Amino acid sequence: MFAIESMRRSLISVSLFIAVTLLSWLLRETLTLENFMTVYILVVLIFAINSGTKVAIAVAFISFLCVNFFLVRPYYTFLVADPREIVDLAVFLVIAVLAGRLAAREREQTYIARQRAYEQEILYRLTRTFNQLTTNDEVFKALTQTLQTDFAARQAYILPYATDTISPDQTVHYLLLQVGEKIYATLCAAFNDKLSPQQERLIHTCTSQAAMALHRIELTERVRQSRQFEEADRLKTAILHAVSHDLRTPITIIRTSANNLRNLGEGMPATDRQELATTIETEAAHLDKLVGNLLDMSRLQAGAFQINNDLNSLEEVAGDAAARVWQLTKHERIKIIFPDDMPLVRFDYGLILQALSNLLDNALRYEPPDRLIEIRGGVRNKQAQIRVVNHGKAISAEERQHIMEPFYRGREGHIGLGLPIAKGIVEAHHGYLEIEDTPNGGVTFVIGLPIGEDENELENSRSG
Amino acid sequence: MNLKILVVDDEPQIRKQLSIGLSGYGYEVMTASNGDEALTSAAQHEFDMIILDISLGSPPDGLQVCRRLREWSKTPIIMLSVRSEEKTKVAALNAGADDYLTKPFGMEELQARIRAVLRRVVSEPAADTKSEIHVGDLTINLVNRLVIVEGEEVHLTPKEYELLRLLATHPGKVMTHSAILNTVWGAEYSEMDHYVRVFVNQIRKKLHENPARNVRYILNEPGVGYRFVSEE
Repeated sequence: MFAIESMRRSLISVSLFIAVTLLSWLLRETLTLENFMTVYILVVLIFAINSGTKVAIAVAFISFLCVNFFLVRPYYTFLVADPREIVDLAVFLVIAVLAGRLAAREREQTYIARQRAYEQEILYRLTRTFNQLTTNDEVFKALTQTLQTDFAARQAYILPYATDTISPDQTVHYLLLQVGEKIYATLCAAFNDKLSPQQERLIHTCTSQAAMALHRIELTERVRQSRQFEEADRLKTAILHAVSHDLRTPITIIRTSANNLRNLGEGMPATDRQELATTIETEAAHLDKLVGNLLDMSRLQAGAFQINNDLNSLEEVAGDAAARVWQLTKHERIKIIFPDDMPLVRFDYGLILQALSNLLDNALRYEPPDRLIEIRGGVRNKQAQIRVVNHGKAISAEERQHIMEPFYRGREGHIGLGLPIAKGIVEAHHGYLEIEDTPNGGVTFVIGLPIGEDENELENSRSG
Repeated sequence: MNLKILVVDDEPQIRKQLSIGLSGYGYEVMTASNGDEALTSAAQHEFDMIILDISLGSPPDGLQVCRRLREWSKTPIIMLSVRSEEKTKVAALNAGADDYLTKPFGMEELQARIRAVLRRVVSEPAADTKSEIHVGDLTINLVNRLVIVEGEEVHLTPKEYELLRLLATHPGKVMTHSAILNTVWGAEYSEMDHYVRVFVNQIRKKLHENPARNVRYILNEPGVGYRFVSEE
């Protein structure tokens, strides 16, 4: 590219010189030596601006010779007839050389300024890009891309992540991505030509900018991690608190009941003995539920849930959850309403059953005895939804804010794990759990789960 | 003569409580604390039932023990498992276990399972002679392929009827999704679990199930399959 451009330019310049000389030769009887010298100084300036000092000085000498040879009597010799013209020619040579050098320096300044601006632009662009990046890979990619587009690098990789290798030669450069003592990686870049010192400097600057970006990403990640630890710590404290209170209560009841059975069993009426045994059973069940919830909570927090994403029926889950409530209360407390064309959705049956049961436990607590909780299925915006509609009192905006936080104690001081677990489970399925007001009072929980693409296939299977 | 049961669990307290409880129901109980002991014991005595924990703490685990027992023994096996072991439950059923029970459970539940399994084992060869199945408001007439709910005949498609018949003729027994697919649809459908879900859903609607009032005929075994209610 550059070679062709400069050749074209020299061709134009040489043609210009020949044209001027030819024209001057034709007009040598009409114009004076001063006229020719002025024109040639102009030519020298043009060469100086286009091609730099060396060319300008050479052209100045050639011009001097041309004027002497073609335009000064006697023609076609380097002799000069008029001694005054010798002075003119000498002065012309000096002026031409000086002017040529000056113009050429001007040209160089401009070139340097332009080069600087270009470097600045590359750096600015790169820094701006780096600032927005959040992973090391992105930084590596931005750096190698810049090398390839702006420096015409043949190849550019980041070691030790690269798989290819370049055989080292003059055009291959290895640069460390380093901040302080820490080396993040090594840049390996191969170019078509040997780099100029400016280019080398610029690549160094780009590389250290990349290293700074890596450093920043590392620091940000560290801050994020420490925040996570803080959160985990807070949760641990809360769990310890819950364990010390909520778990000890059932344990105490079980122990005292068993104690009484052992010590007083013989003398007790049979009904009392029965009652003690039943208490132990209920409290054990209570304990089981609490422990299950605590386990789920910590697994959720640790992101350690293994989700079995099978195609499942939400209506089936609703049925199981409702049956559990029947086992618990021996009363009909729930009404299940599902459309006939409810699609199957991918989810983990056990986990969503757990989430729905938690929501039902909560809804039951506040449902008036003469009303039924509704479990409604439906589809909205490509989401399969299941609504748990309670008809109790509405909750305040403040309560709504905190109700899904772990260990939040609601109106009746229940240990608040059910709702956050439900939320965690649903979110682990890339779904959402939202709270709505039930018209005419009450709280409605909405579970939304994304519907996959294999739904059509199911529609076909329905007709079998 | 009392029925003999072998209880295999690595937890001494669980062995002890199950011994006490099952003896109280009139069974003769022996225990084993690991898989090898269980295999030896099973070879020496003739048990009517083996209760086998899936995770025994040391190899061989419950699943392996179950497989090895099935190489030579037809003694009914009930596996004990914990929640979130669905894949293992299916594996246990495939390995020849008759049923499973999820910990924690109550003694009544265990006793009910034992009785259901024993009854099935005893009556299975004769099951075909039964011409009608009655559960709650549901009557299935196997001779005339009639399904009657709350006194009214319900129309089922042939596949729906096949599915219901398969479940209903094995009351209390877990039928895995693949077993149902194999029987009703054919072996090439054995991966299409969701077919079963869609069909069971339709059947339930036609049978007027209402879980909220405990009107249920087909019970879910999450991640495993379905179970028709026991006639008890």
